[in-house]
Amino acid sequence: MSFIADKQTLEDLNLLGKYKPHSVYGLFNAKVHTTGGERLLEEMFKQPLSDDEEINRRSKTFQYFEHKELTFPFVKDQLDLMEDYLAGGSGGNPLSALSGVLHKKIWSDLFRDEAYGILYAGLLMATGVLITLADVLDKLDEESPYSSQILPLKVILDDRRLVALRAERGGMPLPLRKIAGYDHLLRHVLREEMEQIMRGIYQLDVHIAVGHVARDRGFSYAWALPAKIHTLSAVAVSHPGIYGAVENPVSLTRNSNMLFLTGANMAGKSTFMKSFGIAVYLAHMGFPVAAKEMVFSVRDGIYSSINVPDNLSLGYSHFYAEVLRVKTVAQEVSKGKNLVVIFDELFKGTNVKDAYDATLAVTAAFAEYRNCFFIISTHIVEVGEVLRRTNDNLQFAYLPTVMQGTIPRYTYKMEEGITTDRHGMLIIENEGILEIIQS
Amino acid sequence: MAFLTDQQTLDDLNIFGKRGSEPIYGIFNRTATRHGAALLEEMFRYPLSDAASMNQRSTIFQYFASHGSAFPFQSELFDIAEQYLAVTDERTRLSGEPRKLTSLLGEDNEYKTITKGISALIAILQSLHVFLKGLAADSPYYREKSAIDLLLEEQGLQSLLKEPGKGKLPHEKVVVYDGYLRFRHREIIRRLLQHVYQLDVYMSVGRVAAERGFCFPLALPAEEQRFSMQGIYHPQVKQAVPNSLEITAGSHVLFLTGANMAGKSTFMKTLGIGLFLAHMGFPVPASRMEFSVLDGIYTTINLPDDLGMGASHFYAEVLRVKKVARELGQGRRLFVIFDELFRGTNVKDAYEATIAITNAFAGKTTSVFLISTHIIEAGAVLKEMSGAIRFIFLPTRMDNHTPVYSYTLETGITDDRHGMVIIRNEGILEILKNGLS
Repeated sequence: MSFIADKQTLEDLNLLGKYKPHSVYGLFNAKVHTTGGERLLEEMFKQPLSDDEEINRRSKTFQYFEHKELTFPFVKDQLDLMEDYLAGGSGGNPLSALSGVLHKKIWSDLFRDEAYGILYAGLLMATGVLITLADVLDKLDEESPYSSQILPLKVILDDRRLVALRAERGGMPLPLRKIAGYDHLLRHVLREEMEQIMRGIYQLDVHIAVGHVARDRGFSYAWALPAKIHTLSAVAVSHPGIYGAVENPVSLTRNSNMLFLTGANMAGKSTFMKSFGIAVYLAHMGFPVAAKEMVFSVRDGIYSSINVPDNLSLGYSHFYAEVLRVKTVAQEVSKGKNLVVIFDELFKGTNVKDAYDATLAVTAAFAEYRNCFFIISTHIVEVGEVLRRTNDNLQFAYLPTVMQGTIPRYTYKMEEGITTDRHGMLIIENEGILEIIQS
Repeated sequence: MAFLTDQQTLDDLNIFGKRGSEPIYGIFNRTATRHGAALLEEMFRYPLSDAASMNQRSTIFQYFASHGSAFPFQSELFDIAEQYLAVTDERTRLSGEPRKLTSLLGEDNEYKTITKGISALIAILQSLHVFLKGLAADSPYYREKSAIDLLLEEQGLQSLLKEPGKGKLPHEKVVVYDGYLRFRHREIIRRLLQHVYQLDVYMSVGRVAAERGFCFPLALPAEEQRFSMQGIYHPQVKQAVPNSLEITAGSHVLFLTGANMAGKSTFMKTLGIGLFLAHMGFPVPASRMEFSVLDGIYTTINLPDDLGMGASHFYAEVLRVKKVARELGQGRRLFVIFDELFRGTNVKDAYEATIAITNAFAGKTTSVFLISTHIIEAGAVLKEMSGAIRFIFLPTRMDNHTPVYSYTLETGITDDRHGMVIIRNEGILEILKNGLS
């Protein structure tokens, strides 16, 4: 079973989407060169892992590439051409292959037909790619987290016939007989092997790209632990989409599995919660994270409720939409899954008393699930005061506001405790609305 | 001064309709002529601003509503006449010379358009003349009747009225009439047609009022500050429940509470539409209505909602309040509606902001405010702060576990708290409890 993250969560955290501005996928995809690489990266994003050993293996591989500082040695067009060439296919036996090439050659000479030129260019391109690939693989160590993946590629490249092809490097143009022979070799005899080579190149593309992003952005690698240990901690979590984002620590365990977060509207609660969610998700992909010294027990999934849209066409108020979202999460949690849950400012569209009652009841009920980790933000600080007395498994943190005269400034640095900061009235005062009305 | 309103308000009240449903304009748009429809739209775009003209227009509607006469013209005549009048080029004017052969053979389209246009206008003018003769001398339409009579007295037009109207017009007459209608008396003809289109609007609105049982509100001078709405209802809600409300000086802020589905928004729109129509001098879906004339209406019911923006939805609401505040600051008398004020932020900020803004509004004694909120706690505080605030609510009765709504206003603050009921109905706490065992 793979790690679960539903549509709402993916939207909240802005994880997927090539064309969505600032998506986490886009952050990594920016360094990927090939279409095949993009596809592979997308697959990885859509299927985070759920096995700690597999996660650690993958993250070690990325780490290895980060240190290797390779640059992707191919150009996208080169590989596209090679794909086209390989997809063309050739004759079933050497003789028909030869006659096919001959046919194209004659037509080309007589009628300036392009088919022969395309075939020859494709073959040259493929030869070039194979030579470059062999060079790159030579730069990788015999013993590395990646060696199991490059070994089969090396075996293919060391095929006597391909060695011969690579040796033709200086000897172009080739005689027609040889062209036909190699064409037949690549497009028929070694067809599957060539597909494997292409896959290997795309994989290389993704690994180099991810290593590159990690190096550029100073990301680090999370260490996965078996689920039963129930821990999730990091020294410095920040938002990968924000350069120079403020870092905050997180530490959740079985005995302290819920973080109760308070702070004013603009103080950065949502950003922190998103940062945390993204780090958890990337960690489960074995990807580098915008966090330091992150250690985590593998979870079954993540659910967030940050920007729940109302559905007025279905007659859902915002309040009801939130209730339904909480219900979905409650159902998943109650199935005994180990989940990470993020609730940002629940129960907005109701009265103060109901919001208080609902937040308290729901938070307390969730907190009992010690195998799940929760971050819950709210403005109803009284809920925190009650929970502080009744539950010993909560931690309380807030994002502070520093007032400079009437202008609020934010540190984005979490502090311990509960804050009553709110600035709704301040915004109204700063706009001078009451004075305007009274004038 | 023009009546103040804005696009947000027109959209909220669905005056012209953008959301696919029939707009308020559409209820009245039963005119026989295209120009009548255009005139009607103009009335919707520019409501009136003084009590006398509202009442005058209203009495005319009322007259036609009760006299039930049908539009006394064939509506297709107007398209022909308008098409004919649109060509004002001197070169097309008929001269007294003998007709060309082609026109004698009936193949001259230009000539045909002219003769048809003249016949149509003769028919229109004659019908108008007959209609006016049948009108009682004391009808509220009398003032316009006199104006029309005066226009018809023009010598040239008198001869048109005497045309027997049967058979073909001789060529000589066509030439003379063409000169009158398109050139010499063109301005008079335009004004006469305008009166007819106006009549079209009066009659169609009157008919709608009669058919749907709308009432004719009485406009009072602004200083009286009195609003009395009896049995007012939403014209587009099927089997809408009527409500009655009196607003007087000193209790000009209405603080409306009620559960989500209890009908708060519908009631707010009902009042908004009623007052908007009243300021046009139009009939209103109510049994009786009197109102002091205001300078404008501003509503905030469906503020474009960009929830992805989080905090800035609250900011959008703040800016909207600011816009209204500016108008109020300039001493305008407004009818202001805010539905679910500050729903875009957390309950605590919403609570504080609702109290501050509502209380500030209470100081604006010449305007009327209707504010709904889910923050019922704000009501208790406001009660202490100001005597100018009236508390009304739309109740919910629980029938076992299903809420039932009466849609009838009651006085006070609702104590319906359905947040927890909904959570209980969804069984969230049980789900979590059962999962542990």
